[in-house]
This record gives sequence, C-alpha cells and structure tokens, in this order.
Amino acid sequence: MFPSNYLSRRQMLASAGTGFGAIALSSLLAKQPLLAASESLIRQPHHPPRAKSVIFLFMEGGPSHIDTFDPKPELEKYAGQPLPSSFKPVILAMGEKNPPLLASKREWAQYGEGGLWVSDWLPHMAQRADDLCVVRSLYSDGLNHSGGVCQMNTGSILAGRPSLGAWVNYGLGTENDSLPAFVVMEDNPGKVVNGPRNWGAGFMPAVYQGTPFEAGEEPIKHLATPKDVSDERQRRKLAYLDELNRQHAAARREQSELEARIASYELAFRMQAEAPEAVDLSQETQETRDLYGLDQKETASFGRMCLLARRMVERGVRFVQLYSGSGSKWDAHSGLEKNHTDNCRSVDQPSAALLFDLKRRGLLQDTLVIWGGEFGRTPMSEKGDGRDHNPYGYTMVLAGGGVRGGRTVGSTDELGLHAVEDRLHTHDFHATILRLLGLDNMQLTYLHKNRPERPTLNEGAPCEKIING
Amino acid sequence: MTTNPCLAVAFSLCLVAPFPPLAAVAATPEPTADQVKFFEEKVRPILADNCYKCHGSDKQKGSLRLDLREAMLAGGESGPVIVPGKPHESSLVDAVKWQTLEMPPTGKLSESQVATLTEWIRIGAPMPKDHGGGSGVSVRKTRGVITDEDRQWWAFQPIHAAGVPTAANAISQSHTPIDAFLLARMQAEGLSPAPEADRRTLIRRLTFDLVGLPPTLDDVDDFQADERPDAYERLTDRLLASPHHGEHWARHWLDLVRYAESDGYKQDAYRPEAWRYRDYVIRSLNADKPYSRFILEQLAGDEACGNDPDALIATMYLRLGIYEYNQRDVRNQWSIILNDLTDVTSDVMLGMGMSCARCHDHKFDPILQKDYYRLQAYFAPLLWRENVPATRPEELTEYQRQLVVWQEATTDVRQQLAAIEDPIRQSTMRTTRVKFTDDLLEMLAKSPAERTPLESQLAYLVEYQVTDGEGKADVGTKLKGEKKIEWQTLKDELAKFDHLKPQPVAFIPSVTDVGPIAPEVTIPGRRDQEVIEPGPLTVLENLPAGTKLGPGAIHEGVSGDSPGAGLLPASASSATTGRRTALAEWIASPENPLPSRVLANRIWQQHFGRGLAESPSDFGRLGQPPSHPELLDWLAAELLGNDWSIKRLHRLIVTSAAYRQASQGAEVTASATADPANKWLARMNVRRLAAEQIRDGAAVVGGELDQQVGGKSNDWKKSARRAVYLQVLRNDVEPTLEVFDAPDGIFTTPIRNVTTTPTQSLFMINGPWTMQRAKAFAQRVSNDSSLTLEQRVAFAYGLAFGRPPTSEETSEALRFIQTNAAKSDDAVVDLCHVLLNSNEFLYVD
Repeated sequence: MFPSNYLSRRQMLASAGTGFGAIALSSLLAKQPLLAASESLIRQPHHPPRAKSVIFLFMEGGPSHIDTFDPKPELEKYAGQPLPSSFKPVILAMGEKNPPLLASKREWAQYGEGGLWVSDWLPHMAQRADDLCVVRSLYSDGLNHSGGVCQMNTGSILAGRPSLGAWVNYGLGTENDSLPAFVVMEDNPGKVVNGPRNWGAGFMPAVYQGTPFEAGEEPIKHLATPKDVSDERQRRKLAYLDELNRQHAAARREQSELEARIASYELAFRMQAEAPEAVDLSQETQETRDLYGLDQKETASFGRMCLLARRMVERGVRFVQLYSGSGSKWDAHSGLEKNHTDNCRSVDQPSAALLFDLKRRGLLQDTLVIWGGEFGRTPMSEKGDGRDHNPYGYTMVLAGGGVRGGRTVGSTDELGLHAVEDRLHTHDFHATILRLLGLDNMQLTYLHKNRPERPTLNEGAPCEKIING
Repeated sequence: MTTNPCLAVAFSLCLVAPFPPLAAVAATPEPTADQVKFFEEKVRPILADNCYKCHGSDKQKGSLRLDLREAMLAGGESGPVIVPGKPHESSLVDAVKWQTLEMPPTGKLSESQVATLTEWIRIGAPMPKDHGGGSGVSVRKTRGVITDEDRQWWAFQPIHAAGVPTAANAISQSHTPIDAFLLARMQAEGLSPAPEADRRTLIRRLTFDLVGLPPTLDDVDDFQADERPDAYERLTDRLLASPHHGEHWARHWLDLVRYAESDGYKQDAYRPEAWRYRDYVIRSLNADKPYSRFILEQLAGDEACGNDPDALIATMYLRLGIYEYNQRDVRNQWSIILNDLTDVTSDVMLGMGMSCARCHDHKFDPILQKDYYRLQAYFAPLLWRENVPATRPEELTEYQRQLVVWQEATTDVRQQLAAIEDPIRQSTMRTTRVKFTDDLLEMLAKSPAERTPLESQLAYLVEYQVTDGEGKADVGTKLKGEKKIEWQTLKDELAKFDHLKPQPVAFIPSVTDVGPIAPEVTIPGRRDQEVIEPGPLTVLENLPAGTKLGPGAIHEGVSGDSPGAGLLPASASSATTGRRTALAEWIASPENPLPSRVLANRIWQQHFGRGLAESPSDFGRLGQPPSHPELLDWLAAELLGNDWSIKRLHRLIVTSAAYRQASQGAEVTASATADPANKWLARMNVRRLAAEQIRDGAAVVGGELDQQVGGKSNDWKKSARRAVYLQVLRNDVEPTLEVFDAPDGIFTTPIRNVTTTPTQSLFMINGPWTMQRAKAFAQRVSNDSSLTLEQRVAFAYGLAFGRPPTSEETSEALRFIQTNAAKSDDAVVDLCHVLLNSNEFLYVD
C-alpha cells in the first residue's frame, strides 16, 4: 500500500523491541515541554470549546476586502478624486502622493438567507454565504508584508514570538500522536514572507512549531528511509540503536530525557507509517476530486491543500494553515483586476468545497475555518489600476466552529479605509479564535525568562458578537 | 464605558446559584471558596467591564489599578480606594456613586452594581491573589518610588565576599574554595558528593565544555597516561589556551546578543561584514580580555578606545538588531531600534529584564518606567554610520594610496560607466525617496546644520533606505539591448584593472552620536513631557559605601556647562555625547552589584548546565534567588578582584571537585533520589550536546572538520567548517542547528531550549546530513586495510565515544556487521550511522 521505503506499522513495532508499552508515546509531546514550561502547561481548555480544530486559509499578500466582501457604493461616487479631507490620512507603504480613489469593478449580489454581499470574484464562496461570518472591521499594526504576516501569525509585527498555531498546540496538545498537531502547507514554491518563523514556536520549545507538509511520498521532511537503505537494513539499525540506547540508559536511570529520546524514535517510526496514509488522496472519490477542483489547472494546487486539510482535521490535527499565493502573490499594487481574478479563481472553489465537505461530514461544527490575509487594500489606487496595503481596516471571514454564518460583524468607513464599528485588532481576533477553541487569551501563559507570556501580548479580548452573535 | 464591545464577553458570566451568607470580616488574606466565587462572578465582571481599561494591567490612570487587591489598598494619586470592611470610608464607593470623582466617566453604574461593590467591600474585599501566570510573586504596592524594602533584594546588595566555609570535613575533601561552599550546603542537606569521574569521562566532558569538540584519540590516551598530579590542571590550561576555546564560548555570548548575519524581516538581506563581530568575540575570549573592556568596546568602542580597529568592530553590537529595508514609518522604526537595544543591554549586561518597564513601572521589580528611559537615553544620541574603516592607520593609508593608483588608471572607463549607471541610480533613488511622508521629506530637504538631532537621525534612516536599501539599483537588470552590451563591455574593461586594486580592508557598519547634543528623551504618552536624562536604575542610586554611580560621577572635572552636563566628550576628534562610555563605565564599576554576579552566574550555567541563580538574565523577583548566594558572591568577587578575567573563573570552576564528579553509576543514586533536580550538586549533570557540538562533533569523528580559525562566514550548504563560522541567516537557519534548538537570532537567548522530538530522530536516522557523516566516519574507520573488523569496531567506538567497546559490545557490533544484508562496506556505514544516532554520542556524562 505504501512505497517500499516505508516501514509498515507492524514492522516498526516489531523493530522497537519490547518494553515500549511502558512509555506512553503521547507523553513525549507533553512531558518534555512540561519540563521546560514548568507549571503553566495547560492541556485542558479554560472554557467549553466550540471548535476542536482550525483551518486557516491565508491569502498572503493582502486580498482586497472592498472587492470581495465589503462593497462600498460611495467609492464609485468619488472615484478619480483624492481621499476627502474628512478621512484621517494614512501612511502608504508605497508612498504614492495623493492617489485618486479607485472604484471597484465588481458585480455585487446578496446571497443566502442572511443576504450576505459577495462579489463576483467569489461565486462559490457566495453559495456558502449562510456559513460565513464576515468580519469587516479588522485593523492591525503592520504596514508592510513582513510586519503584517508576522502579526497575523504571532500577534506582533516584530519577529520572535510563538505563532498562534504553536500557542494552540501548547494549550490543547494533540489528538493524534502519529501526526504533527500543527501543519502548514504552501501552494507554490515562493516562500511565505519571513519564512518558517511564521509557524515557529518562538521562545517556546520547538515541539510546538508547525510542520510543513507536502503531498507525495515524503509529506514531512526526512520521513522516508533513504532510497538506498532497504527496510531490512533500516529495521536492523533501529533495533541495534535501541539496544545501545537501552544499555546506555540503564546506567543513567535518573535521566528521563534518555528514555524520551528512545521513545522519540518510536514516535518517528509511527509518523513514518501513518503520515503517508494521511496525504494519500487516491482514497478520495472522483466526486470529491471534482468538488475541490483537483483536475482543473487553476484550482488544483489550492484544492489539493484544502482536501488535505480536511483529511488532517479528520485525523485530529489541531491547527492547519494553508497559504495561497505564498510569497505575497495577492499583493496587487498594480493590475488589481488580473491579479485578483487569477488568485480568486484559484481559491474560490476549493475554499467553498472545503466548507461544503466539512459540513456534509459533520466536521464543520468542530472546525473553525478562517479566510483572509495580513491586511486589506486601500480604496485609493496605486499606479492607476492597483491598490496599496491597508492595515487600517479590512475583512476576515470565519466559518464553522460554532460561529453563526450568513452575517457580517463590524464595518469600515464609507470608503473602506478605516475600520469604524466594532473595531477588532489582531489581538482581539486571535483572542476570539482562542476562545472558540476554549482557550482564554489571558489565562494561556508560558513562562519565558520567568515572565508569563501570553498569545496576545497581554492585550485583546474575544469578540462577543462573533462568538455569540 | 466606550470600550470595545468585544471586551465584554470575557466577563459575561452568568450566576448559577444563590450565594451562601457571607461573613463580614476585615482583611482576609486567603479568601474562602465562596468569596472567590462571589468576586469572580459578580464583582470582577463589573470592574473588568468598567474600570480595567484605564486602571488595569496595561494602563494605570492616576497611578491606580483596580485589578489587584494590593494595588487597590495602596491606591493611586488620591490615596487608597478601598478600606476593607468599611464601604463608607472607601473612595471607590464614592466615585462610582459620582459623589466625588465621576467614575466611570462614560456612564454611571447601575444601582445593583454599586450595591455589589459596596457589599464586596463590606465583607472585606476578598480577592484571589493574582499569580501573574504562575509565578506566585506579589505585585509591588508602591508606584513611582523605590522603598527600603526594594533595596533589600539580594541582587541589589553589594558583593559580599564571605569567608570560605571551614567545616572540618569540608576542608579535607575540598579541592577548591568552590567545593567548600558546595559541601557546606550538601552537609546541611544530608548529601555527600559523588566521587571523581574516570579520566575518559573527564576529558570528554572538559573538552566539549572548553572547546566544544570531542577529544581526539591521542588526547584521551595522553591524558590517561599522564601520571603527574596536576595532569587535569595541565589539560585545563591546554584547552583554555586553544584557539578553539573562543570559538565555543563565543557562541554563548552570541546567543545573548542575538547575533545573526542578516536583516530579518522579508528581505533578510545578508550582512557581509557581520562576521567581523563574531571573530572579535572569539578573539576577545581567547585573549581573555577583561569583561569590563569587552563591554566598553561594544557599547562605546567608537568614542572611548582611540582608534583601535577591534573596538570599532565591537560597536557592531549596536547594529546587530533586525532591520527592515523598506519601512516608511521611520519614526516608529527608530523607536523599535532603540527599544531593542535597551532591552538587550539590560537583559545581557545587567541581568535585569527591563522591557516591562517600557510601558509602565515594573509590576514586580523596583524598576520604574523612568528607569527604562534613563537607560535608553544612553543610546538616544546614536547615529548609524556605514563603511567605517576598521583597520590600523598605516593599513588604511596604504589602502588609500593604492586606491588612487587604481582610480587614476580607470578614470575613463569609470566615467563612461557612470554615464550609463548614474541616471538609473538617480532615478531609482528618486522613486524611493518620494515614498516617504511629507514631514520626513522636509527634514531631508533641510541642510544638516538646520536639523534637530532627532531629525538628523530620522533623515539618516530615510537616506539609508534610499541609497542602501530599496533605492539601491541593480543596474544590470535595468538595461536592455545595445546599452546593456556597452555596459557589460565597460565592466569587463574595468575588471582588467583589478590587479591594481588595493588589498581589501575592513569597512564596517558602526555608529557615532548625532552630535554633542542628545535628542530629548521623554516617556511616550506622558503629558508632562519631562526630559529624561541618562542615569542608573533608581534602586541603585543610593548604594552604600558612599559610591554614587552614574555618568555624573564618572568623569569629574568635566565642565558642567555643556548640554550633557557631566558627560565626557569622548575624544577630541569626535563630537559625541560620551553617554555610552559613561554607561559602560557605570555597568562595569566595581560598586555595581549586578554585572559581576550576572557574568559569574552565566559562566557557571554553561559549565554545570544550570546557573546558581536559575534565570540568568533576570535577577529580579520573578527569578529564583541563587541556590548558593555566598558562592555566587565569592565568584563575583573573584572576577572583580582579578580584573574581570573570565579564563581565571573557568579554571576555578572546572578544577573544582564538584565539576569533576561522576554523573552516573551507583554512587550517585542517593543524591539522585534525594535531590532529583540536582540543586545541591552532589553529582554532575548528564547533558545533551548543543546543536553546534553535535554538528562539529560528527564532523570531527569522520575526520571532516575544517578547523580554520576566523575569517568570513561560509555557506552552510557547502562548508565543513565549525558551526560558529557558518552564515547565520535569520530566515533560514542551518538544519542541524535548527533541529537541535539553536536560537534564531531574534531575541536574546540566555538559556537554550533542550528538546527531544521525533523531528530530531527523523533528521538523524533518515536525513542526508547524518548519512553523509556516517559515510565519512566509516571511510575513516576502514581506511587502514590492515585493521581487523574487530579493530575497526574499537576504532569507531573510540572516535565516537572516547572509549573502547566492552567485549559484549564488540561481539554485538560484529554480529550486526556480519549478519547485515548490505555489503560489508555498507554494514560498517550502518554501524557508524547508529553510533552517531546513539545517546552516548549525543550526551556528555
């Protein structure tokens, strides 16, 4: 069933020899960090959780909210004019001087029972309107991609803090000790701005960081036995290693990390057997493939990632993050039409398929799906037909995880420049996500340099309207 | 209040059951479960919804916070706000009734809410203690002032070099005074020290510890054969004198100063000169440069050290932080840069985590918000400089002379090139320049003399982006067709004169001050805009022994009429404020109780795996007090008494009996049972190798390691040099280093995580890196064809573990090789691969 360079589970357990049963393997993930994290490790939610897992669809580069989920009729009226002086001026990342306002070229319509406005760039998402809670009042501090992506992932525009997925992993632990609890996928070889730090554990132990996943024979780096080493050789090596390590540990019984390392090889082998199955899409029906658009060029890449994400949460993975346009591909400083037409086409059907598929499998109620980027785009044009970065007001979309759909929360001003109503900082947004998972952003602490660090930097609060509205 | 409506949810708790009668009591330190429930479900939601935004953990308007009982008792500017048991005397009640102050200002509380608060105060205002996330330390009750109690904290006491304990049995067993301190404590705890480890264990431990590499087979044999009584001390001295010593110990310092060779952020541009700072650290440690000099050079090498090129390179400490090449908001960028420097310097050199005090007085330690900006004021005059020659004057002269030769020979071709390139450059720079906001462009437009100090700093950051950052044009990519051919021809022509180019000298990014007048430092958000002068921590202002620390006291006789009164103009040639020199001298002054303890503790930490004080960058109240305070002070006094010699301290520590103890075996069982965390050090700790030791060690075992000392960093994909010499990119960490917990160079890292993960196991057993090392290792073992298989096994064991195999191990290994499905060469590779994967290789006893 699996490529020959994988050991079967049975082979691995055989290779591990006797006595492993004594060590609960899942304890490896909990135990070692516990030593580092002291008493503040929390594996029980603080509140009754609505969601068990998160799938974060990250549109990297900043999708235009005013051309997708936040229509602005006034923009049409003022198109071609500079920003009226009644609007608080902003610093523009590209610094174009007094650029004229640019009308949206989109056709807008209302969808679902809730009458949610969605533009013609996202026709499939529109069909899921009654699952979508469109939050139109985000704002953040990062003017550039680096700070923006960093903050959407870690709460801070400055690098070095643990990512949200790492906090969730730390706070809730894993439900599947054969797969990483936090999985990351990118849709193209362009690297996400800031690189792996976006899913890093910051000052927390590396065990909480996200693991990049790919489809194919080796979904996790170094998962497969080297091609020129036969199963038999590998098995014997492992057995020999196990023997050496046991003799070594026998004289050092008080050193528990030696046992932990022995166990870590067992866990590695378990991953080696089970991870390929998790990413084996040949088990999916043609109907499902069509649903996600796996056989269409435009949607194949993101569709595959969305389908993998569903398979991950089915298997208990806690936090899945998918990057669309990794390497700031949504960053439409010029040629917004072409850029967003292409990008929207690549994510629209797969994103909608994910929601539909999760729902029909009864998974959507336990899975919080998040759709959006590090910021939105300005109502002012750039280079005539593009839009600049807008961290002052933008949209994120939530679905599932017990969040009522078919509605909007918050608003931006008449032109979509600043968030005005129910303003929601990234910290509030993260606190809301954590709360939906049952975690309290102020109670979830990690002692770093003997100080309690919190996922939202001691700020932010969950948004009642999103959670219970 | 007009809070974010989302704030409400955190406290939207519903009441589930009627409360039992509550007894009216005065201040109850430990509230009952019912009282806690009453507070959490009824009282806290009122306070949180209506008060915390201005009087909570983030803001304390009127110096008042209402989220902690002690803070309410201590009160704010208008005095205590609650009197437990006496609502009618509590100003909080008056305020919420809008009788005195009108609180909350956005709207009166409902009558039932007022009644709840009144009832709560009547029953004694019970509130569960805030544990600050588990630390259990209580919050400071006073604001804005330092109390006598604050000054009593151990870390602020003068270094007290107590006599070495002289208990009879301690003396008889001790090798060094260190052991006398440790044994005295062991006796009190009913423990006995472990015996000395065997020589093979000792040399492996000591070699990894002092030079970061495993001992060679010859080293092991020599040490075992050395019968002189001071064989161990000789080994210590030899290792301390090795050029590789600095390579290993530099890494500990580099962790602290978040060393990296790239910008971080999106572009993560490589910094081609950064390695010079790393080599400076290595050289300094090898030369046993006094620590006081070491920090003076890093903080103020540009103004306090004459024209010493090494000291200039040291100032790259001030340029190590992350940098964003296209940040339009340069005001905020500059404050991020200054905050970062302040945070790192206080953590690393003072062992006081001060970053909390950036926004408010420290909640637990006597560090005022003002203290944070006093420290920052030392850095506030900084101005970056690029391409600063860091070389001896005669070398620079020679460089310039030869440069003229090259310039004269190439005048024509360079002029022709300039005719093509300059317009492109100018245009790119113009495009970048106009992206900045008008107020910044106005600063740029002013002549330098017209700019205020802050304007000069901001203008520099703008100009730096324009010329060196985003505005840097890649001319080659902007040319097309014939123009490009012409340009390429000229470039080729120019290259013909390369033989005339001078020998390259170091041109580095460094710093100076913006001038003799510092920009004013004020506390952000404060209405009073009080100008903060540089100065020491308030709690250290009135040290005993009559020594006043701080810039004012350091350079007596400096004229007081200059704007930076009491500060020394650094040198005749430079127009700096002298503030950084003053800072370095304050830090290293013998009366400052922090740095000598901090340094001694860090060195102890690296030798034993844990500091005497367990939080090495925080000697405040959130850290644990030292396990052996007298010993820590004795070590600090040794540093101070011996001109801050670090090598001397290494020698004192590693020659102690404590360091030489066994870590395993029957003799340590008693202490392992009685003291599992090994706080009292009645045995040595078994430790996993650090990432660099694993990488270097595996390369040594296979005979692959390139041991060149110093010089430019190498690409880790290709180089066989020691890990410390590999390029350090913040966004792309070398895989071995990353998987084994090396820091990423973003934050100061006083203690590395030591993790055990399946990712490491996969990396080691399946990854190409280990496999390549195993192949080289096997090659080395098999090179001598005269060796029997049994001898090869012994050789492999010796290389990997520094010991021969037992006879059982030999027969197991032979069986493993001989029954291997692979051909015999591969079977030896398999053996070597397993040895590199084994715990005995990855851990040191």
